[in-house]
Amino acid sequence: MTVVRTRYAEVHPGLGDGADPVTTEIIRQGLNAAADQMKQSLIRTAFSPIIYEALDFAVAFYDADMCMLAQAPTLPAFMGTLGFCVREAVEGVGGPAALSPGDVILYNDPYGTGSHPQDAAMVVPIFHEDVLAGYSVIKAHWLDIGGKDPYCTDTIDVHQEGTIFPGVKLYDAGRLVSDVYRMILANSRMPEMVIGDINAMVAGARTGAEALGALVRRHGLGTFRRCVARMYAHGEALVRGWFERLPDGVYQASSVIDSDGVTGRPIPFGVEVVVDGSSVTVDLTGCPDQVGGPVNCPLPSTVAAVRIAVSFLAGAGEQPNEGHFRPLELLTRPGSLFHPLRPAPCFMYGIPSDHAIELIIRALAGAVPGSVPAASGGDINALVWWGNREATGEPWADGAPHPVGQGASRSADGASALMYISESATRFTPAEVWEARNPWRIERLALAEDSGGPGRHRGGLGLDLSFRVLEDQYLTSGLARTALAPWGLEGGLPGRPNRLTVEYPDGRAEEFSLKTRIFLPRGAVVHLRTGSGGGYGPPEERDPEAVRADLREGYITPGHARRHYPHAVGEPGITGPAVRRSPR
Amino acid sequence: MTTVIGVDVGGTFTDLVLHDAATGEIRVAKRPTTPAAPERGVLAAVDAAVPPDLLARCRHFVHGTTVGLNALLERRGATVGLITTAGFRDVLEIRRGDRDDPYDLFWTPPPPLVPRRLRLEVTERVAADGSVVRDLEPEDVLRAAEVFAAEGVDAVAIVLVNSYANAAHETRAAELLARAGFAGPVSLSHEVSGEYREYERTCTTVVDAFVRHRMGPYLHDLDRELRTRGFAGDLLVTRSGGGALTLAEAAARPFETILSGPVAGAAATARLAASLGPSLGIGTAVAADVGGTSFDTALVEDGRLPLLYQGEVVGLPLQSPWVDVRSVGAGGGSVAYADAGGLLRVGPRSAGADPGPACYGRGGTEPTVTDAALHLGMIPRGHISGGIELSEDAAARALAPLAGPTGIDGVDAVAVGVIRIAAAHMAQAVRGVTVERGVDPRGAAVVAFGGAGPVFGCLLADELDVDVVVVPPNAGNFSAVGLVQADVVRSAARTLVRPLDDAALPVIERLAETLFERLAQPEAVREVDLDLRHRGQEHTLTIPVRPAEDDVAAVSARFSEAYHRAFGHTLPDPLEVVTVRATSRVVLDDARPLVPAPPSGEGGAGRGTTRLWSFRRESFAEAPVVRREDLRGVAEGPLLVVEPTATTYVDAGFAVETHESGSLVITRKDRR
Repeated sequence: MTVVRTRYAEVHPGLGDGADPVTTEIIRQGLNAAADQMKQSLIRTAFSPIIYEALDFAVAFYDADMCMLAQAPTLPAFMGTLGFCVREAVEGVGGPAALSPGDVILYNDPYGTGSHPQDAAMVVPIFHEDVLAGYSVIKAHWLDIGGKDPYCTDTIDVHQEGTIFPGVKLYDAGRLVSDVYRMILANSRMPEMVIGDINAMVAGARTGAEALGALVRRHGLGTFRRCVARMYAHGEALVRGWFERLPDGVYQASSVIDSDGVTGRPIPFGVEVVVDGSSVTVDLTGCPDQVGGPVNCPLPSTVAAVRIAVSFLAGAGEQPNEGHFRPLELLTRPGSLFHPLRPAPCFMYGIPSDHAIELIIRALAGAVPGSVPAASGGDINALVWWGNREATGEPWADGAPHPVGQGASRSADGASALMYISESATRFTPAEVWEARNPWRIERLALAEDSGGPGRHRGGLGLDLSFRVLEDQYLTSGLARTALAPWGLEGGLPGRPNRLTVEYPDGRAEEFSLKTRIFLPRGAVVHLRTGSGGGYGPPEERDPEAVRADLREGYITPGHARRHYPHAVGEPGITGPAVRRSPR
Repeated sequence: MTTVIGVDVGGTFTDLVLHDAATGEIRVAKRPTTPAAPERGVLAAVDAAVPPDLLARCRHFVHGTTVGLNALLERRGATVGLITTAGFRDVLEIRRGDRDDPYDLFWTPPPPLVPRRLRLEVTERVAADGSVVRDLEPEDVLRAAEVFAAEGVDAVAIVLVNSYANAAHETRAAELLARAGFAGPVSLSHEVSGEYREYERTCTTVVDAFVRHRMGPYLHDLDRELRTRGFAGDLLVTRSGGGALTLAEAAARPFETILSGPVAGAAATARLAASLGPSLGIGTAVAADVGGTSFDTALVEDGRLPLLYQGEVVGLPLQSPWVDVRSVGAGGGSVAYADAGGLLRVGPRSAGADPGPACYGRGGTEPTVTDAALHLGMIPRGHISGGIELSEDAAARALAPLAGPTGIDGVDAVAVGVIRIAAAHMAQAVRGVTVERGVDPRGAAVVAFGGAGPVFGCLLADELDVDVVVVPPNAGNFSAVGLVQADVVRSAARTLVRPLDDAALPVIERLAETLFERLAQPEAVREVDLDLRHRGQEHTLTIPVRPAEDDVAAVSARFSEAYHRAFGHTLPDPLEVVTVRATSRVVLDDARPLVPAPPSGEGGAGRGTTRLWSFRRESFAEAPVVRREDLRGVAEGPLLVVEPTATTYVDAGFAVETHESGSLVITRKDRR
């Protein structure tokens, strides 16, 4: 068995040793602030709601060695994955020697970005006095760049998923390469939106390049590089400090992915986490072979999933840089679900990667009991709609993730209706904005009563969203975790899984999970019921006052209370028995 | 000219500034803030500084208050009931599904201001184009009224979906509620905000209902107390979006005052830049206000305050104009520490006023920015602050332990590091307010004020590559000066999503007219602004228009210019109107001058020389200490300029002189 070991060693050992700690801190703050400027610029100029509303993008800086200097708080799912794009994009155009000031490289190969071709990266090299000082990079979701459908859940190879730009110069020394530009537009169903987003991304990446250039000018390239080396060492020390506290051991967990989107067959898989001193190794070599449908997870996104799971728990609460990732090692097997090889389809890469995040967290429950939450709804519940407006014939498209209930923890009930952690910076689109834009009417946008997994602490509630379509249109459902109920922990009960039902005007109703191009005739109603959080601890240990408060506010119904919390709801006027405190 | 009092209630102190029109005299007073009953602190300041005959001559009493903000921070306000469209009961709790900290697995939103049992649904529906899909069911409103009565609801917010496009159902629901016997205040979302996005509008409307309960009685009590002391003028309240509201308006729309805290300093900077800009040769100014806990900064272009139209306070979005003032936790009291990875960090935690910096000798042992500044001589040694003699030894003792874990060599270097890091934080906040608006900070002047602002002026100049720093008269109290210069401002907005074409301008003009009628300030100067975007985009730029005179080409050109400045490119795509904004402004007194420095003679801490660190030379030097009123001609740094409320640090490579207006102007002689 071939095993690939992904780890990040120090590039220039000892370089940061003599760096001034004060200047290091000033540069660290400056990098994070510059990344934020790049993010703001993109949000305010983007054309598609997936960027400006759902914030489905990532922005970061890399140094000349392609180590991550800073990433603005955006989509955690893209955490640290932009390094792969930068490397592949630069290689694609002939390596660092082929770069000049004013270049903008476009790259969207799924095996280098980790995601689908719609996630396009723009890489801008930054020069300081003719020396390559680093890169600014933005990866953002374009509404459409070809592919068999605007959003695909049933592809059988990567070529069905979109047009691939394997690292090409969109700007060459400041001059637009119109051949490439015209190719992009010719391959999109929504060329106007894509033009707008390209402009926004180029402007954003250039804003970032200027900000980083100014920082390097202010301190000089030599000082900058030494301080950055020290900054990485600092980030590494922070994360190692946390890992050091974990008991050494091997921790495992396993689960099942609903389906590959093509055959409908479930995919069981497992993770193994090895804690050894201040290092953590996540071993995914035991996972099944790559599958025939688009739920394969390219290596960069597997790396991101591991980083999210581990760094969120490590809880440093810092904007990450390369150093934070150094104590982490990942083992994968080429040709497997978490390290697929071309041309395996991978459009829905987020399904295995999101699932792996929660599974790694669950495995770590064995190492640090009490410090991880029960399962959440576990998916971003992506839906994509498109059609042609009846009045004008104009094409339109829109897409959005939807929030889920969060798992309960040792200290608190789970939060209701938050985006899944891999898209935690993403926002839910207001109904009024939707209705002003798309031919819909939202009929219900509510918390789902009784949905939270019962427990000493209750899981967060899922969301019930119903909308009626006012014109014929298509829907693609990217739902995962529709079969497996979100697990509870320490005796807590499971929550509800995700579920999508379409109610047709003739009264017929049908359920979908992963499904491409569902035709919605005018008058059809789509009901999305997102998953809730699992409970934590036995329900009979729930504080009766908390149960009564849930009843009073209508988070649970009397029937639910009688079934799961009989101790709290005696006859009227009679209070339930006192809470039984667990011995632990 | 009229006599005006400004009183600003801050976190620690309540500041009073009085400008006597008859004598030109300025009075200032400072009293501790009394959080439980803020009017007591206000009245104490009045009693201390303003005799009854002078109070009787005051035309305006301009008040900056945190009553609304505190009601939210402490969650002490009305019991609010919410009426909303069937199916949308949980909008307030679902929010937007995002987390304040995206990297926190355990993050939980604050509990909603209205509990679920008091969020009641009524059958009705209006479409996005304003057409009625389903009539309002009166029975549902009556049923809600019964629940509210049984639950002891004080105030009701009515927020129906798409009411920005057609408000008839909200108005009707309010009538029905009144008919059912509900006598408390009712906030209607289309009156409070008029903009789309149901969560943000619901939140704004609920906040309005929640704080009104506290604000109205507070303002009326204060007004009565002032009148018993002989005050016969108008009580005005500062507004988050700049200017001030009348008492009646502030009591009716309290949410407009909630973010007003840091506005006064920005307003004072705008006034200074407008009046001095030409003679100083500066067009763009950056306010740099360093207080005890925070650094507040704002960009002033052409003497105008930068406005945003959605703010956020304690995690609650507010659809209300507010001045774009950014705060970062880098002030005199900010605590320095060594983090787990061995880097030196500063803030955002502050030692506050109690125990305060270690050098105050009031039990504080953690090293702060003030301790570092004292150690380096940037605050004159032997200086008395609030009756306390600052202790250099205590400062050094607090700073010394940071050397070990960070590997920094010695106390001097630690102190230098703390100041440099604090200045870098401040500079980043300045870059945020400038670069995001497409302005290069290098062309701006830094206006440094607040107790510690003038200490940081030169450091900011070097960090930002700026050549001019202005220290206004009365620098320590400069924010309060902004109060006595306020205009009376009212504003209203309405979302109107449509293409910007020839037919649009008359529609906009009519809509603006309707909004102005509601604002009911007949004598006022009227301003109309449009939120515009390229069709297909979401985010907008706000552009001033004259609907009766402008054509589409003129408005488009103005938009393109602003877009280019902000984002560095222009687009050919057609424009779309999103929101129409009407502002009416009554200028209270055009002739009010900048408040001059208070009479001299109180003196700063002595003259002579001090051992002062030069960041430029990276060494200590024996440098002169000059009283501000004694400064003559051009003086080269390093030196300290002292006055009762602030100290100005002038590094080597800079020169300072007094401008005819009384401001200190520091010029960078050589660039680093």
